[in-house]
Amino acid sequence: MSSISELLWAEKYRPRSLDEIVNQEEVVRRLKRFVEEKNMPHLLFVGPPGTGKTTAAHALAHDLYGENYMQFMLELNASDERGIDTIRTKVKEFARSRPPQDVPFKIVLLDEADNMTADAQQALRRLMEMYTVTTRFILIANYPSKIIEPIQSRCALFRFTPLKKEDVIGRLKLICEQEGCIYTEEGLETIYEVSEGDMRRAINILQAAAAIGRVTPETVYKVVGLAHPREIREMIKLALDGNFMEARNKLRQLMINYGLSGTDVIKQIHREVFSNELKLPEDLRVMIADYAGEIQFRLVEGADDEIQLNAFLAWLSLLGKKLRGTPA
Amino acid sequence: MAYRHIPWIVKYRPKKIDEVVNQEQAKRQFIPWLQQWLSGRIPEKKAALLYGPAGVGKTSLVEAAAHEYKLELVEMNASDFRRKEDIERVAKIAATQSSLFGRKRIILLDEVDGISGTADKGGLDAILELISITNHPIVMTANDPWDQKLKPLRDASLLIGFNRLSERDIVLVLKKICSIEGIECEEDALKYIASRAEGDLRSAINDLQAIAEGYGRVTLGIAKALVSGRDREYNPWEMLRNLFLSKYAWQAKRAVTHTNLDYETLIEWINENIANQYTDLEDVWRAHEALARADQYLGRIRKTLSWDLLSYVFDLAGPGVALSRKKSRFRWAKYQYPQKIILMARTKEAREVREAIAEHLARRLHMSKATVKNDVLPYLLVIFRERPDLAAKIAIAYNFTDGMIKYLAGPMANEVMGYVRKLREGVSEAVTISSSSKTVQPMLSGRKTSLERRTSTGTTSRRRRSSRTRSNKGQRTLF
Repeated sequence: MSSISELLWAEKYRPRSLDEIVNQEEVVRRLKRFVEEKNMPHLLFVGPPGTGKTTAAHALAHDLYGENYMQFMLELNASDERGIDTIRTKVKEFARSRPPQDVPFKIVLLDEADNMTADAQQALRRLMEMYTVTTRFILIANYPSKIIEPIQSRCALFRFTPLKKEDVIGRLKLICEQEGCIYTEEGLETIYEVSEGDMRRAINILQAAAAIGRVTPETVYKVVGLAHPREIREMIKLALDGNFMEARNKLRQLMINYGLSGTDVIKQIHREVFSNELKLPEDLRVMIADYAGEIQFRLVEGADDEIQLNAFLAWLSLLGKKLRGTPA
Repeated sequence: MAYRHIPWIVKYRPKKIDEVVNQEQAKRQFIPWLQQWLSGRIPEKKAALLYGPAGVGKTSLVEAAAHEYKLELVEMNASDFRRKEDIERVAKIAATQSSLFGRKRIILLDEVDGISGTADKGGLDAILELISITNHPIVMTANDPWDQKLKPLRDASLLIGFNRLSERDIVLVLKKICSIEGIECEEDALKYIASRAEGDLRSAINDLQAIAEGYGRVTLGIAKALVSGRDREYNPWEMLRNLFLSKYAWQAKRAVTHTNLDYETLIEWINENIANQYTDLEDVWRAHEALARADQYLGRIRKTLSWDLLSYVFDLAGPGVALSRKKSRFRWAKYQYPQKIILMARTKEAREVREAIAEHLARRLHMSKATVKNDVLPYLLVIFRERPDLAAKIAIAYNFTDGMIKYLAGPMANEVMGYVRKLREGVSEAVTISSSSKTVQPMLSGRKTSLERRTSTGTTSRRRRSSRTRSNKGQRTLF
């Protein structure tokens, strides 16, 4: 069947058991102890994106319960669940389901837990206490500081470190060999650089690059360019040229055609503002970042993406006009 | 001061036929008909039906004539014809030879087109009955006499049409009132009021009085801010015009509160048109920032349900935007329908498909939908647009629907779907041919060559084939 269908490599090459995870040694060693003892506390996995947190949680469950581990694990993503109430309902139902035979607990995996509000986390904490006899929670977060203390103190903390360059490139090489794709060393290094140590992103880029040809720096940049159009930078430049109307239209295209949210856009703008591609007086970078931060905060408060970003672009246009008027 | 509250339309009602403005043609029909009555010869048509737009002088002419000929005016609103006692009262008067004081009478039935068809069938019959028995002239008025149900009345009446008044006619009347009242009036303001009145003198006089009593003088600025919003809501274009014309905070606030747009749509309209109206970038920014603040309050309302914050939304979206104009000169800008609303409608389907793909993949890849959209979809789009053959395999692996394939592949959708069909046919053929299908392998390699033939780039497909033979062993080791 594998030849008429093709999985995404991010799924195909995801390690299934703890043994297959070769980096994060310290984490893996401690997790294996839980498997041996068939017991564990609540766990909190923290670390940058693409360092194997979700994979480790699945591998742990796999090793505890075997191939069909998913019947004993409830996987929730805090970003996608509508609120603590739906989470509560699902956990309640899950806690009632059939227990595993030789392990005394089931697992609730809650990914992106740092996206929950403090209130929701308080409710989660009570939930963890309520079902602590029959279930263990694995919480996953990028930033431990965004998890409230009472939860942190109830969990064993696991820090996932950024992947080393050799680890990422070694993994990419292995995939290349199994997939029979042609690559250059520089090509893989380029992938490592643009993916910023995020293994998931690295594998996604590799698959797309391999699809369009040899994996070289050129194809990698081509893929990244196709996938992340430079339109954000173009939009900023249009605004700084004093062309507010066109910048505004560009924003609209970005949001509608690529489905970017206002927060995505403002975050990318923030990144661009400090890049060398934009020629700006240094002190202005700070001012722009400050306003960008204000806009992002308003979006968090529930304001409308386009209305807020238009105000930002209008300001940027005004700034650009003033810059050109007076020699910097 | 005591007279202040007398409506001017009453105060300045014409007392003489001559004072009725510019309905000479109607007068030439009406006056002879009335004089015939007064001379004692009953005309062929015992009733007259005066018709024309509102506020052009139909009732005024009747009243002026009654005044001039010293007739007793028996007035009745046609809608009263529902009540039996009223009908009887009028019928009695109509049938009596002369009034108590020997004065002749004129019976006025206003707004006969206000009688609704079936419900008031009795009312209509009563009027016809009245016309047949009357010893006095009966005058009816109507805006629209051409309704089918009024045909019997038309047949029984002398039809007299009234014209819409010209702007000039109205301005003349307004000027006269201004001079009598001793109010300072800008000619342009009167013209503006007249133009908005659309031939309706009554509403023009009402507008004039509202401004004069409210502000003591009649200027164009005030007229523009007040007139036309009298008893209706503005459409979005008018809302924008009023908003951007506002000089005072209250005008701008009025502009944004007197519209039937919901808050989000209101903000969209303003957002779309700030840069169409303002030419100076600083003004544009100030206005957009004010609007953004309004939107922020709206966001807080949505989150906390504190509806008492709504006033601040209007403060910033209205006066905040209007008073941002410092350097831009006012100009007649062409306003635009909010493009976002159009685009969102046009792209609704695509956005829903994208959401469906994200949800689908999020489950398989153990990620949130947002992560799929940011980290997976962009690369998937590259593969689907660059390598339709490979895309087809991914589409099969994840059971993508045609809609999903169309979204991902865009212009390459037909190619990808072609490959999907080929791949699936390959499978079903093989299953039917090799009944002892222990090995799926032979048919797959057969399909492979057919795919190879179709692939334009031979090298890539060869590479794909070699990768396939090597896959499935010893993977998932590192990480």
